Amino acid sequence: MKSIFIAFDQAYYDQIIALLSTNHVRGFTEWESVKGRGSKTGEPHFGSHAWPSQNSAIITIVDDVKIKPILADLRDLDATSKQMGIRAFVWNIEDGM
Amino acid sequence: MSLYESSVRKPVMTALIFIGVVILGLFSLNKLPIDLLPKIETNTIMVMTTYDGASASDIETNVTRPLESSLNTVANLKSIKSTSKENRSIITLEFNYGLDIDVVTNDIRDKLDLVSSFLPTGVGKPIIFKFSTDMIPVIMLTATADKSLPALYQILDDNVANPLARIKGVGSVSITGAPKREIQVFVDPVKLEAYHLTVESLAQYIRMENINTPAGSMDVGSETYSLRVEGEFKSAAEINKIVVGSSDGKTIYLSDVANVNDYLEERNQKSFTNGIQASTIIVQKQSGSNTVEIADAVQKQLPIIQKNLPPDVKLSVIMDTADNIKQTISGLTETVIYAFLFVVLVVLFFLGRWRATVIIILTIPISLIAAFIFLGATGGSLNIISLSSLSLAIGMVVDDAIVVLENITTHIEKGSRPKSAAVNGTNEVAVSIIASTLTIIAVFFPMTLITGAAGILFGQLGWMVTIIITVSLICALTLTPMLASQLLQLNPYRSKMFNKIYSPIEQFLDGMDSKYATIVNWSVRHRKSIVAFTTIFFILSIIPAKFIGTEFYPAQDNGRIALTLELPIGTRSDITIEIAKKMTEQWKKKYPEMSMINYSVGQASSSNVWGSFQANGSNLASFSIGLKPLSERKRSMFEICDSLRIDILQIPEIRKSNVIAGGGMSMMGGQSTLDVEIYGFDFIETDKIASQLSKGLKNVNGLVNTRVSREEYTPEYQVEFDREKLASNGLNINTASNYLRNRINGLTASLFREDGQEYNIKVAYAPEYRQSIEAIENILIYNSRGQAIRLSELGKVVERFTPPTIERKNRQRLITVSSTVSGTTLDKAVEGINVELKKINIPSNVYVTIAGSYKDQQESFGDLGTLLLIIVMLVFIVMASQFESLTYPFIIMFSIPFAISGVVLALGVSGSTLNMMSFVGLIMLIGIVVKNGIVLVDYINLNRERGMGVIRAVVNGGESRLRPVIMTTLTTILGMLPLALSNSQGSEMWKPMAITVIGGLTVSTMLTLIIVPTLYTMFAASGIKRQHRKNKKLAALNQANKLDN
Repeated sequence: MKSIFIAFDQAYYDQIIALLSTNHVRGFTEWESVKGRGSKTGEPHFGSHAWPSQNSAIITIVDDVKIKPILADLRDLDATSKQMGIRAFVWNIEDGM
Repeated sequence: MSLYESSVRKPVMTALIFIGVVILGLFSLNKLPIDLLPKIETNTIMVMTTYDGASASDIETNVTRPLESSLNTVANLKSIKSTSKENRSIITLEFNYGLDIDVVTNDIRDKLDLVSSFLPTGVGKPIIFKFSTDMIPVIMLTATADKSLPALYQILDDNVANPLARIKGVGSVSITGAPKREIQVFVDPVKLEAYHLTVESLAQYIRMENINTPAGSMDVGSETYSLRVEGEFKSAAEINKIVVGSSDGKTIYLSDVANVNDYLEERNQKSFTNGIQASTIIVQKQSGSNTVEIADAVQKQLPIIQKNLPPDVKLSVIMDTADNIKQTISGLTETVIYAFLFVVLVVLFFLGRWRATVIIILTIPISLIAAFIFLGATGGSLNIISLSSLSLAIGMVVDDAIVVLENITTHIEKGSRPKSAAVNGTNEVAVSIIASTLTIIAVFFPMTLITGAAGILFGQLGWMVTIIITVSLICALTLTPMLASQLLQLNPYRSKMFNKIYSPIEQFLDGMDSKYATIVNWSVRHRKSIVAFTTIFFILSIIPAKFIGTEFYPAQDNGRIALTLELPIGTRSDITIEIAKKMTEQWKKKYPEMSMINYSVGQASSSNVWGSFQANGSNLASFSIGLKPLSERKRSMFEICDSLRIDILQIPEIRKSNVIAGGGMSMMGGQSTLDVEIYGFDFIETDKIASQLSKGLKNVNGLVNTRVSREEYTPEYQVEFDREKLASNGLNINTASNYLRNRINGLTASLFREDGQEYNIKVAYAPEYRQSIEAIENILIYNSRGQAIRLSELGKVVERFTPPTIERKNRQRLITVSSTVSGTTLDKAVEGINVELKKINIPSNVYVTIAGSYKDQQESFGDLGTLLLIIVMLVFIVMASQFESLTYPFIIMFSIPFAISGVVLALGVSGSTLNMMSFVGLIMLIGIVVKNGIVLVDYINLNRERGMGVIRAVVNGGESRLRPVIMTTLTTILGMLPLALSNSQGSEMWKPMAITVIGGLTVSTMLTLIIVPTLYTMFAASGIKRQHRKNKKLAALNQANKLDN
């Protein structure tokens, strides 16, 4: 079991949910608005006057085999627009109930 | 979920809500009446009291004064004016606007009830009229008759006037020039004397003979019959056969001492239309009621009325005021449509996308139609004000939608899906469009708070624009994102054809952006020269202000002229008619523009409401002239009036004349008048000043039509009875004067009934026996002992002069010297009057003041000036709260002085004046011009927050905001262009407002685009320098601390 943390421009929300379900992911946890800035490029997402856009974040715990296709799909989606930005990170999950 | 989010997620709901609004709006529009101006509840009430036989000064002391002192205590009274003339006292009470006139009327009625018992006996009951004298007729009809002429008055009164008077809103229906039938018994005084008869005894005989008596009932056999004596005259000829006495055993018949005529009233008003004698029927409305509705109702009734008339009586409409209103409104509707088209073109030009254009344009009909719901709900109408506010708003309603759509497009171009782009894009700009809409509301909402006459006009403008702009904001926050999410696509397909047309435009716009960036780049680096240049420009541009005159309301060409000619007092009516006829013939040839010339001459009867308020008399001819529609003539109404005034001067018989362009319509529309009011009790003193002044005013350039309100003194014969002689003969003044009156004026003996109508039977001396002083002196007066005494033995007949009218205002006698302003402006005319007034030596008990349009203008300009200050503060407050700063609003406020430069230049170039309408235009400008500054400063701030340096932020911000600024400015300017250019009926009214806004906005936008970035850099630079100094100080302090340690 691994977890994927996806931070993305709010505008991607519908597509990311669709992407997860095509990859047979049912469960996830979402934060509707989070703020942040990329380490190298991309616009900051601060929800401020200067940078009005905001991010959402989703964390989902999936089987190890699903990680690769999901990341591949996310990369494709990110490629459609450089300015909005999607980032995903994977952790190991020790245990759960 | 926010407003825009839910509307994007629920497109069906959003669409249907707006469709619902549109349906409701169209439904209201369908029911809206048409009128010239917003409904104005009357603020004048007139109280008319008759006292037959009293002279002007009698009326003043016995009727007017007691009534005035009682009415003066009515609450909210603004001014009280009165005219006392022979037989009649007219008191006009003016109240503040916005009162419930019914309550006021009741108050007045109460006061009148209180005072009526103190009035002399013989004074009629005071009648309250809820309309003012200057109300022009709504519709004028003529009736021509052939055989029915003798009965024409009765026919018209029953069949035309009565049904018309029942129409809702009709104030009065007056018949002029239809003589009334009367049975006249003209007595020969010599024969009367010979037979020892008197006028009174003849009247008594006639009364006794003209009687029907029910004598009870009787039973004959099994039936009951009623018994009656039918003594009433069946024909006028029967009166001849009345036995009035006997002399030497011979019976004396009435025909022996008198002539019985079945004829028409002796003194009546004759009326002519286009040279043909016809009776005129004048329909006046109650103030506040709808002209078009009344006129339409009258027009609808006419065919029905015509059917009920005898075949030889022909009715025709000679003037319908509603035509003018309808033309004005249709002209204005045209400008609204043109404005719409212009705005569509501008949006399409800048966006180059059909779908985007449609989304933006949809806000126009929705917001405008929503305003109709407001009008329908508040009982408003389609009038000059409501329609010109639509025209004003068209260019502004798209602004918010443009900003929203532009941002959504940017998001889509960044790769966002339309739905999320719509939500996020709207979210980003929501606050700033709300703020910029608030600045517009900060301008228009305070307009709803103005009081007085101006408040009624601009109150509606304020409400309309506030509602339209609010709806457009709601539209921009809900409908625009919803439609964008449904209709917009990334990289839409462009046909070759489209590319061919649009790429040059695109290149031009790009070129404009970069050119502007270069200019801004230069200006921010040459800040001092820019500031110097703009200051010099501002100072230079203000100079023409000296040459711009002021006015109250622009004069409006409604194609109607009212004209009064006054011949020397006492001129017989046939001579007056002859001159009027001659003038009509002459004018018909000289002015082909005249479509109708109607005039009436003579004394109006007391039942003629319209006539009795007009000046009337045998020496007066009152004309009412209708001109062809504006499009069919070259000369304006004012040119024709000026020319008429010259024509009239050429006729030596005419003593005085008054030519009123616009037909004396109330409130606005006509030419401005300037009244110099001279208050003072002494007639001789005030007369002297008035005549000096009116002579002096002839030298003042641009003042025409100067006239003195006090009419010429009428010569009159007064019978001075000697009380001692009366007493020794057993007589008193009352009896003696009644004898006199019965012989000259006549005594109504009885009523002659025919076909259900009643006609007076009047006994009087035959006309040939009342044409000399001797005839009066020979009148025999009988005392209670039956002795006859000649009037010459009881007193003497002397000739005196008395003023025919005594005018008072606020319970003081006054005389008004009024003149019309033509060819100059109000302020210059006032200057001229003041110069003339200085030349006249005014005694201390006489008080002179300038009133008329000037006073109204001064009051209204004062109100608008205060409003301007309030609005400037409100706009500042809105901006300061949005930016959370005092500096930025201050910078943006610099666009206001340049708006003023623009206004001065535009008014100067177009030769317009500063009047109420252009003043309102100036007020509106404050809200409109700061919008550009807000957009610029907001984006520059954004750039700085994103980490750009000051100069880069300014140049880049300017470059990227140029298009939205130019686009919203162009939509506003082009939206007003049809208003400024229109030449239709009534365009004089709204033209100055549109010219003001266009001029101010153009100049201000051009300079704002330079001065705001420059000033921004200046303030930011000094801010940064201050920061640097602070930092240096801190560093030095730290250094010192370290050293200490």
